[in-house]
Amino acid sequence: MYYLRLIKLFIQVSLQEEMAYRVNFFITLLYSLLNLAIGILSVVVIFTQVNSIHGWNFSSTLALLGTYLILGAIRAIVFGPSFDKLVGIDGEVWTGQLDYTLSRPAPMQLLASARHWRFLPIIDLLIGTGVTCAAIFQLKNGMSIGHILAFLCALIIGITILYALLLFFASLVFWSPGLLATRVFDGVFQMARYPLGLYPGWVRFALTWIIPVGIITTLPAEALVGMLSPLTLLLSTVGAGIFVIAVSLFFQMGLRHYASASS
Amino acid sequence: MKMNLRGGWVLIISTWQMWLQHRSFFFLLAFGWMIPPLISLFVWYTVSGTHAIAGMTQSEFVAYYLFFMLVNQLTYSQTNWTMGDAIRSGFMNLLLLRPLHPFFHAISTEVAGKVVYMLFVIPVVILLAPILHPSLHTTLYQVLLFIPALLLAWLLRFFWGFWLALLAFWASRADALLAIQDALILLLAGQVAPIAVLPAPLALLAQLLPFRYMISFPIEVLMGNLSLTALLEGFAQQIGWLCFTLLLFLVVWRNGLRHYSAIGG
Repeated sequence: MYYLRLIKLFIQVSLQEEMAYRVNFFITLLYSLLNLAIGILSVVVIFTQVNSIHGWNFSSTLALLGTYLILGAIRAIVFGPSFDKLVGIDGEVWTGQLDYTLSRPAPMQLLASARHWRFLPIIDLLIGTGVTCAAIFQLKNGMSIGHILAFLCALIIGITILYALLLFFASLVFWSPGLLATRVFDGVFQMARYPLGLYPGWVRFALTWIIPVGIITTLPAEALVGMLSPLTLLLSTVGAGIFVIAVSLFFQMGLRHYASASS
Repeated sequence: MKMNLRGGWVLIISTWQMWLQHRSFFFLLAFGWMIPPLISLFVWYTVSGTHAIAGMTQSEFVAYYLFFMLVNQLTYSQTNWTMGDAIRSGFMNLLLLRPLHPFFHAISTEVAGKVVYMLFVIPVVILLAPILHPSLHTTLYQVLLFIPALLLAWLLRFFWGFWLALLAFWASRADALLAIQDALILLLAGQVAPIAVLPAPLALLAQLLPFRYMISFPIEVLMGNLSLTALLEGFAQQIGWLCFTLLLFLVVWRNGLRHYSAIGG
């Protein structure tokens, strides 16, 4: 309960910060709409050439695009700004500000992951939800409540894996402050914009087992279409749980390795 | 502008050396720019696995996108961002005080950037080639045509970015315009799909607007898919758009400078 109250406070403070720049809203809106148009057109271009590839057709790929926008928005709302404050350029690890943060009476992992919030990406969250709904209407045959529930479960698994990945890349900063590993992840994250089935075999393998970026969007989209077996869903839940615990331990290890940057 | 070429050269060398110092940061930027064409490459590689798409085989797609990464990086205009920033931050004052046209500053960052980015992009392309098996049936004649096409593409993208950046003289934030431009390049310069693969209305739009002539056209020339009329038409469009852009640049520069009232100390 204490943690939830803390998160509520973090949200309030961030909201006040963001309200200071209102013109930004229109620019962000324009950019989001443009992004949406390009995203949909890219899918259209592919599926005017083929009807389906490895079980993926226009509607299921559209569902995946919606999932990608939703996950990207969630990342931009909370995890992105928080981790950026910690490990980005002029981040706390870099400047030594972390010393003060460490002395606060709250768990460091919570402070690192949920202290700063952005609200403009809510636009993307709405757009992503809209695209997913549009895909659901397109997929009308064989769509059941079960599929939608499975989709929501898979979406939570996706968010968990995304969080674990971000935490992992952020933790690397404790060993190499100049690495900017989170920027590398920015690039890799874009790979989640298409279903895994649209990639060559070795890329699919890498995006499933080495840096599991591909799973985070493919899994929910598969659940929505009904391509996901209950066993896979169960196994991925367990897998995501183990992954997030392991990465949390890794983060703690990094924190112990931290030896302040200020003089 | 022709005065003090020696000064310009010194500026280019010093900028280049400065950039090399921070190369890991620029490698990171280059990595970020390489990802979107790489994604398209993977997708079209899979799609064309069983049969040719719009006359392009799998290995032709690979060749197209590997060249796309190189040409995209070679023609990429940083002036887009750096000039706008210079105007906003007041750094422009310093540039205007130098006994050199600010144009030299733009050119020097362009050249420095290209060399540093290429140090990253070329090895990646060389690494990817044996994995994905590109095929290229190019002739000496096509290579000879490729060089002017590439040069024109770079000039076009450079001045196009320059005039857009100069809008910062009026609106202190031209970033939204730049974002639109980048999105159009994604779609209409052959990144999402080669122009030949686009649906008819988009392909027509791509042929009319300048973006195709900034990246895709030199690659099409090199791959040898163009008929003689298409070639001539392409070069004519490139030169036409370049002249138009130069004119636009000069007008915006003159008026902008008059309008400029040094922000910042």
